[in-house]
Amino acid sequence: MYKVTFKFENGSAVETFANQGENLLEVAREANAAIDAPCSGNAACGKCRVQLVGGELEAEKTAHITDEEYEQGWRLSCVSKIVGNVEVMVPDIASAYKSRMKVADLDSAKEIEIFEKTKSDIENAGISFRNDLEVVRVTMDPPTLDDTMPDIERVTWAVEAACGVDHVKIPFTVMKNMAETLRTYNFDVQCVIRRAENKVEVLDLCAPEEDIKVCGLAVDIGTTSVAALVINMLDGTILAKASAGNGQIRYGADVINRIIESLKPGGKKKLQDALVKETLNPLIMQMCRAAKIKPKMIYRMCVAGNTTMNHLLVGVDADPIRMEPYIPTFFETDCVHAQDLGIAIFPHAKVIVAPNIGSYVGGDITAGTFASCIWNKPEMSLFIDLGTNGELVFGNEEFMMSCACSAGPAFEGGDISCGMRAMDGAIEACTIDKDTMQPHLSIIGEEGQKAVGVCGSGIIDLISELFRCGIINPKGKFIREGERIRHDKYGMGSYVLVFKEDAASVKDVEINEVDIDNFIRAKGAIFSAIRVMLSTLDFTVDMIDNVYVAGGIGSGINMENAVNIGMFPDIPIEKFHYIGNSSLSGAYTMLLSNEAEAKVTQVAHNMTYLELSNEPTYMDEFVASCFLPHTDAALFPSIIPDFVQR
Amino acid sequence: MPFTAKSGKFNASIRSLTIGIGDKAITLGGECVLPFYSFDAAIENAPKVGIEITDCGMAAEPESVQKYYEGCTSVTDMAKRAAEFDGVDFLSLRLEGGDPNGLNKSIEELIRIVKDVAAAVDLPLVVCGCKSEKKDEELLSKAAEVLNGKNALLLAAKEENYKTVGAAGLACKQVVGAESSVDINLAKQLNVLLTQSGVDPQAIAMNIGSAAAGYGFEYVISTMDRIKAAALSQGDAALQMPIITPVACEVWSVKEVIASESDIPEWGSAKERGIDMEVETATAVLFSGSDAVILKHPESVATISKLIKELV
Repeated sequence: MYKVTFKFENGSAVETFANQGENLLEVAREANAAIDAPCSGNAACGKCRVQLVGGELEAEKTAHITDEEYEQGWRLSCVSKIVGNVEVMVPDIASAYKSRMKVADLDSAKEIEIFEKTKSDIENAGISFRNDLEVVRVTMDPPTLDDTMPDIERVTWAVEAACGVDHVKIPFTVMKNMAETLRTYNFDVQCVIRRAENKVEVLDLCAPEEDIKVCGLAVDIGTTSVAALVINMLDGTILAKASAGNGQIRYGADVINRIIESLKPGGKKKLQDALVKETLNPLIMQMCRAAKIKPKMIYRMCVAGNTTMNHLLVGVDADPIRMEPYIPTFFETDCVHAQDLGIAIFPHAKVIVAPNIGSYVGGDITAGTFASCIWNKPEMSLFIDLGTNGELVFGNEEFMMSCACSAGPAFEGGDISCGMRAMDGAIEACTIDKDTMQPHLSIIGEEGQKAVGVCGSGIIDLISELFRCGIINPKGKFIREGERIRHDKYGMGSYVLVFKEDAASVKDVEINEVDIDNFIRAKGAIFSAIRVMLSTLDFTVDMIDNVYVAGGIGSGINMENAVNIGMFPDIPIEKFHYIGNSSLSGAYTMLLSNEAEAKVTQVAHNMTYLELSNEPTYMDEFVASCFLPHTDAALFPSIIPDFVQR
Repeated sequence: MPFTAKSGKFNASIRSLTIGIGDKAITLGGECVLPFYSFDAAIENAPKVGIEITDCGMAAEPESVQKYYEGCTSVTDMAKRAAEFDGVDFLSLRLEGGDPNGLNKSIEELIRIVKDVAAAVDLPLVVCGCKSEKKDEELLSKAAEVLNGKNALLLAAKEENYKTVGAAGLACKQVVGAESSVDINLAKQLNVLLTQSGVDPQAIAMNIGSAAAGYGFEYVISTMDRIKAAALSQGDAALQMPIITPVACEVWSVKEVIASESDIPEWGSAKERGIDMEVETATAVLFSGSDAVILKHPESVATISKLIKELV
């Protein structure tokens, strides 16, 4: 047994013990020391680097650590073995996954405007924003020797009278503390109730004068990040909002790695804890503090997440999703309550899970499709959610078809060395001077904010501009030289956006060929999925009337540049609309409106799921799409003039 | 009612490309019909057959091939002899000794051989690089220089080194081979990259990748089929380059060819196995759209050459 100490840059430390030969990353996971490993410990991503400050460690050298860095003690924890007492320093970048995605959603005026527009669109589609939660105050006659009716009947009668219904259900959770509550408040209480036609269910009994806020919690659980809202269920106002990186990230960047991790002994619990205890509960605490409410006032919750996230959240076996024939445990469920999952809100709060429609098209998409309102329009619309998985829905009020493709975390700033979410310090847009190769950047934040990294919309601009200026070739490789172009010792090129003197980070903000390659694959996955899905329906891109783009890519997305790099089809720019985090807006409406909840289920039933891996042409289309803008330039007629110039 | 056959002639055609100079110069491509469909329209230039020797000389050749070069003491001697074999249209010199993981011969040594061979024969010349893309940058660039005026084919520029190899071809007026690995999109992408870097599409030949028959060969066949279909029926200009397929380097290393007779007697004559494999593979790629093949055994060369003459 050896002592292993993880020190963090903020001064905290985690101590644990390990046996000879144990893997350092595994030890860190066991001990809950936060080290990022998007590749799940395959020595592929280089993000789990730590610095050896004391003791010894047996570690292979990898391409991610230069000789000089190795000398300074840098090691990849996933290839390091315990051979003695050891002390390592975990740099901020390795533990930053928790904070690096401090969002953004609904932070700017523009995002709020988009959210309000989504709300009014849904209302115009005939959905009323009403739900069945209410607060009623009831007073009862205290029992006497002459009036010996039991408490439960006393409450039932009083609620029946107050609500004008003839059936009242009182669950065990309410019955349990009923005697005490009634006597404390002298048989004068407020009831939080759920009314359904002629029936009422009592959810909670509270003090008569208490300022009860009936709150709800809407959560979008993404593979990479989680965003949440606390709302007032009675009028729909947003009381607090927050977001964070998904705590499961250290178990792998994508759903497949997470599922594999969940198969290990105790894995399901570990992944559920990473999501519930480490991510959701702290977010809930933070929002409740901000909104000045108690967590127990959250009487309902709605979750929109992909199929795997839904399974890992409720703690059921997700492995069959990964294996042919890809069958999940559930598409819909209405039997889950907060206490079953350990979510720190009102224990008996119902958890609405937006329905899944396929192994790789989940509740985030059904909720998002609902929010986009394409189900209510005669025109043909394409809904695109740019997340770790890219999901597409195409159709109109009569039919809808959906599919999913693996885009990787590039759109949310993952997989890109200088990538980040759309938050302060992120470069959200840029142009480059063709002659001097000097960039002109627009950075999120107050005047004078220095650049930290690049968010999804910035990367689209950047690649489009590098390509337009002939700095990179259609394969994403550098073909011009200059002070901003560098090559490392392996010959890999990079472009410096901001030199470190002018940046708010310790190194230059630069994008390299591997980043560009990752992004080209991500955009290729999206475009080829669009092509294959449309061709299975015998549609062409010019039949698309509207494109709704959703996801954490940021409202700064420049659709024209997205077309220039061949991510979206070459159709008139005015057909594209950015609709923000539609999964969260969908969850919000499902939470607030019973009609919306029912409608989402109906929308889900109307959607056909296309499994792209069964389409023989998909791989071919994908390779053809991994080129700027596309191997078949004829698909992008509007950008040919520039193309020919070069 | 009489039957009138519909012509399968396409409006588009494969670009014709000349390699070599003088009387012996050959032209690849030019056709506007499917392979060997001479009944639809005349095939301007019949497919061509090349013979391959390497910088390693006799030592690297299989026994059955060595016999034909008996008495040769240098690569130049072998080149002269190869030029006289029946049916040889061009000579391919593979610089495999340059492989950094093999003999790792110096670039100077290899270039000397290239120079000598070029001086000894008047056949059109194809220079094939070693297995390292990095080394090929310099090797093929130097080869392009010393072959100035010979209109040789540099085989090949790949995605990793197309800039340098393409520039060398452009500067020394040689033909550039574009090598990709059995994928229609990758083949097209490389042609686009080469063209954008300034290489004339008229001076590009494609090696879309190959395999010995039976070794994932169906991918080769379908890729070639689709490239020809895209070039002819869809008029895709970025795929209208003629295809040259090195067959020898694929077939002479598979176990069906190298296993000795004493090890597996039931497979029969080692010599015949090698020739059979080479002829079968070459025939299949020609019928899928190759405009030229590179073979090793003089008997295979003669056979394929006869086949082509009979059919075109």
